[in-house]
Amino acid sequence: MVRDQAGHIVAAGLAKRFGGITAVDDLSFAAGPGQVTGFLGPNGAGKTTTLRMLVGLVNPDAGTATVSGQGYRALRAPGRVVGSVLEAGGFHPGRSGRDHLRVYCTASGYPLARADEVLEITGLAGAGRRKVRGYSLGMRQRLALAAALLGDPAVLVLDEPMNGLDPEGIAWLRGLLRDHARGGGTVLFSSHALLEVEQLADQVVIVSQGRLAFQGTLAGLAAGGTAVAVRTPEAGRLIGALARAGAQAERTGPDGLRVTGVLAAEVSRVARAEGIDLHELAPSRASLEQEFLALTAGQGESPAVPASRGGQVS
Amino acid sequence: MMRLTAAEFRKVLTTRLWVWLLLASVAWTAGYCALAIAFGDRPGGLAPPLSTAAGQHTLFAIGAGGAGPLVAVLAVAGVTGEFRYGTAATTFLATPRRGRVVAAKMITYLLAGAGYALVCLAFTLAIALPWLASRGIHVTVAGRGNLGVLVAVVAATAIFGLAGAAAGTLVTGQLAAVAGMLIYLYVAEPLASHITALHGWTAYLPGVAADGLTQATQAGVRLLPPWQGGLVFAGWALALAAAGTRVTLRKDIT
Repeated sequence: MVRDQAGHIVAAGLAKRFGGITAVDDLSFAAGPGQVTGFLGPNGAGKTTTLRMLVGLVNPDAGTATVSGQGYRALRAPGRVVGSVLEAGGFHPGRSGRDHLRVYCTASGYPLARADEVLEITGLAGAGRRKVRGYSLGMRQRLALAAALLGDPAVLVLDEPMNGLDPEGIAWLRGLLRDHARGGGTVLFSSHALLEVEQLADQVVIVSQGRLAFQGTLAGLAAGGTAVAVRTPEAGRLIGALARAGAQAERTGPDGLRVTGVLAAEVSRVARAEGIDLHELAPSRASLEQEFLALTAGQGESPAVPASRGGQVS
Repeated sequence: MMRLTAAEFRKVLTTRLWVWLLLASVAWTAGYCALAIAFGDRPGGLAPPLSTAAGQHTLFAIGAGGAGPLVAVLAVAGVTGEFRYGTAATTFLATPRRGRVVAAKMITYLLAGAGYALVCLAFTLAIALPWLASRGIHVTVAGRGNLGVLVAVVAATAIFGLAGAAAGTLVTGQLAAVAGMLIYLYVAEPLASHITALHGWTAYLPGVAADGLTQATQAGVRLLPPWQGGLVFAGWALALAAAGTRVTLRKDIT
């Protein structure tokens, strides 16, 4: 293991086609220790395929993926270097959670007692002896995480780890991943939900149609377009008033506007001067969402972000 | 390899299928054995009399007929279950050198086959020895070639386990693999091997070769001699294993 690459995940020029469909296309990015990296993109953007190429389950058509400077399949004790949570389906329904973990303790040469330790860490201690058949989706996510933690790895790779968790579970997982990064570990997790990533990630890698759309901090992404989201019953009048003040406003819905060229305070001042009610004035959040939607435009079998604000996806 | 084989055994033993299939093997063996002794040993019957060495060989070979295909089902279901339930991903994450995983599975089911055979043979002997003794037929397990048959039963069943594991790596759809194997063993092969015109080569089919190994007599079917049958059956299993390993190494686990 090359010392200065320890804990670094590096994807370089990754590409994968399934049949005639390009899942991942010349994708390069990096994730490093001490940080939580969010891997963000709409469903079908190639996130799962990319993560599976990182951990040697899918063979890339081109490019390389390394963890701590080595390809996953060349790692001597992979479970000690990388822990992976791939999807919450990978269990035999007739096997208990504890037995599932003990199988992989045996395969990797860990003491069997480690299974009970990770059950404790993931809050499954009480359910360990029950068959997985009776587990909820959230419990399966916890069990998948428990399996990833068996080797006490410095690098965690997680595919949609929040799926199926209740709000309490999400808060718990967020804390666990944040602590892992604070302790010098590397966390790379995928999500199709901007909000999840925003709440946890120090940096983001955004993919769209298998290609890299953005890598950096979310603040950097938001700064790309300083926009203000506005909701008002008199959208038409506000557009005119803002235009006179030198701002551009476009409709995002019957009562929604996306304003660029001025700060939120200026929008508020203009509205008050015109006697227009504002129901919502959000400086960065909507802009971040708009930037994300713009980056991933025209992609996804389902909208990447629920269009609850009437935002259009194209 | 020891670690991986132990892990594969843990997989088998932590779900219930092995128990049910072992019970089925025992029931099949005990049932056939009892029928063979109760009704088969009549003058003019198809099977040779149980007082002869040939008759006793046929009786002891019964275990392979039940345990063999059922341990193959265990192996096919176990291997394809990894793909059906998605545990293959976790398995290959823990051990990215897939060739070793596949080898461990084959060793595991080879040993499981031997275990199934030993249990079935124990039941065969427990039923046959006292029953035949009550008819004045005293069987020496170590004599008259009987021991060779017992060894052949263990070998045949073990190879069935290996072949099943190999078949499961080739056809990873669980239902298709199990159904395909049973249809092959119980429909396609018996049909083909009863066609006299094909006797030149049906003896080399895997299931018929296995029967050659144990000399499980079926009227009208040409069998190879034991050592040849054993080699041919093992050859089939290893060919399947090689093909299955090759497929598994290249497979994308999605």
